[in-house]
Amino acid sequence: MQDLISSYKKNLLLSILLTFFVLLFLYGIFATNNYFTWFNFKTIIRDAALYGIMAIGLTFVTLSGNFFLLSIKETAAICCVSFAMGMSTGYGVESWVGNFPISLLVTLLIGCLAGAAQGLFIGLGGNPIVVTLGGAGILYGIATWWTDNLVISFRRPNDAEWLGTGSFLGLPTITWSFILIAILAEFVLRYTNFGRKVYLVGSNRAAGKATGHENLSMAIIVCTICSALCAFVAVAFAAQMSSAQANYFSAEFGSSGDMTILVIATVMVGGNSIMGGYGNTIRTSIGAIFIAMIDNMMVLNGLNSGPRIVGVGLMIVFSILVFALYAKGSRAQE
Amino acid sequence: MQNSFISKIKQKFISNPDLTFAFFLAITVYSYFGFSVEVFASHNLTFAILERFAVLGLIGLALTICIIAGEIDLSIGSNAALCAVIVVKLTDPIGAPLAIVIGLFISTGIGFIQGFFIAYLRVRAIVLTVGTLMLLRGISLVVAEEKTVMLTDFRVPDFITTKFFMYFSPASIMVIFVFILVGIFMRFTKYGREIYAIGGARKESLAAGVPIKRPMIIAFALSGFCAGFAGTVIGLKSGTAQGLGLQYLLLAGTVAAFVGGVSILGGKGGIIGAAVGALTVNFLNTGLLFYALQVHFVQLFTSVLLVVVIVFQTMSRIFDQYQSRKAFLESVDHRRENLLAKRDKFNLTNK
Repeated sequence: MQDLISSYKKNLLLSILLTFFVLLFLYGIFATNNYFTWFNFKTIIRDAALYGIMAIGLTFVTLSGNFFLLSIKETAAICCVSFAMGMSTGYGVESWVGNFPISLLVTLLIGCLAGAAQGLFIGLGGNPIVVTLGGAGILYGIATWWTDNLVISFRRPNDAEWLGTGSFLGLPTITWSFILIAILAEFVLRYTNFGRKVYLVGSNRAAGKATGHENLSMAIIVCTICSALCAFVAVAFAAQMSSAQANYFSAEFGSSGDMTILVIATVMVGGNSIMGGYGNTIRTSIGAIFIAMIDNMMVLNGLNSGPRIVGVGLMIVFSILVFALYAKGSRAQE
Repeated sequence: MQNSFISKIKQKFISNPDLTFAFFLAITVYSYFGFSVEVFASHNLTFAILERFAVLGLIGLALTICIIAGEIDLSIGSNAALCAVIVVKLTDPIGAPLAIVIGLFISTGIGFIQGFFIAYLRVRAIVLTVGTLMLLRGISLVVAEEKTVMLTDFRVPDFITTKFFMYFSPASIMVIFVFILVGIFMRFTKYGREIYAIGGARKESLAAGVPIKRPMIIAFALSGFCAGFAGTVIGLKSGTAQGLGLQYLLLAGTVAAFVGGVSILGGKGGIIGAAVGALTVNFLNTGLLFYALQVHFVQLFTSVLLVVVIVFQTMSRIFDQYQSRKAFLESVDHRRENLLAKRDKFNLTNK
């Protein structure tokens, strides 16, 4: 905080940008009707939870220095389709129809496999962007091929309802899982051996290699974590809709028009270093809530999807510029 | 004379395994479809392939330039979409030539600004271009007023798809012309060589006095120009444009660039490779049309092609490392044997 204040005083451009941004945000909040209500607050947190959970998974990847995965929405698509298939057809086994634990397990397994396969290629030296761009096409192709691009729906009273539409102590289940996952992930990153290794490999790959922490195993583990969390969100989303289609996450999701970019934006707006080694999941969670707040504000003001995408895009570019200006001349550059 | 020419070509292929692999892939894909689909190797289809090449080749070229500079531009699809929307929207009121000039000016300007920020703030391009991907998509939605923009006068689409010389149309001739110009620029001018320098060895070239800002800005402006040009061609050819369209171009262009033999580490690859890569992807896309598959299967096969190329590149890198390590160990063994032999000789003579 002290650093931020001192560089705020020193850097004119940074201070102008930040002040402008904060003023705009405050104006927007106070000029909007019905913003400060308990119901609206719940909506915001609920929106934030969906991409917040995925973004927490992506934070692991980013912290370990593997940039980001471009296959997030496709992983979610194949997982959501797989869950719906399990709930409606039981993967061809008669007694498995509508069996929530088996569908969840199979879906998580598929998610983990998809993540591990991409992690393997990344760890072997492939560029994360290119590998996951290819992986995304393959996963989406398999998802559409599996379902013939149809909507798979399953019967309404089912075992998965508590996850999709249920609530506990006044907050939806998905919000609770967001809070729990955020706390758990922060605990893992901060206090466990594995978490410290993530920071080590991310901040200094050469030192990691010299001390026996190769990126190969690290990439596989972090990609698996990220994909498993994507699978979890996909299951919750499918349970909420009681149906699934391969392009649930691609077209016009939220205000972004693209789930993957929204999740990456969440990680960046929170201020995690994309180069790795710097950041935590609290920043990511704050980023998710922040994006949800701004998006909600724009929706309440009746803006169309075009201006809303411009708004979120401006926010990403702004945060990149602000953090780049803030970090200029310090470490974490190259 | 003949012999030396062949050996020269042979030398070229041996020294550049990625380009060889690109040619190999292109010939494989083409001959597979040529043998299995009857009409594949006909004049009309060649014309169709060149028409598709006009779009995809430009996107592949744009990504190739960025990747040679050691960065990757993710906002290429959005940039193309924005240019398409602007050109299609302006063609009716002010005429096609002026609309194209304005559209290309805007996309080149966007590339210029991106390159400036990347060089000045020293952020990685993937970080900034993820943001501009979304920003430009939003802007093109706003410009198109969230509708599909359409031409009313179809003389322009008719003109740019006229067939002449059997295989060519004005669009594809323009694109081939751009390819040649960019190729000469990258290969023979100082500015082009600077782009190679900052991509291949950034620290070394900085130490040698190559400015980082100028080549970065030139590379991104060029790639913005190519993306905008591709958007113009698509928009004018079909007469329509959408704000959310053209996002598939990123995958197709990346595949084209990587098939063409660029390395993600930068500083490698060339314009010939980009052309061959784009042609390969076009052969694949066009050939798959004859199997009447659903549209996502094309994406699936394109991704499989990308994975094949990545696996080849990674394996060849690992193989190179293995080879050099082996050679190093052998030389160490050799030296040790020499030393031992010397010591034995020394001991013998002293006894």
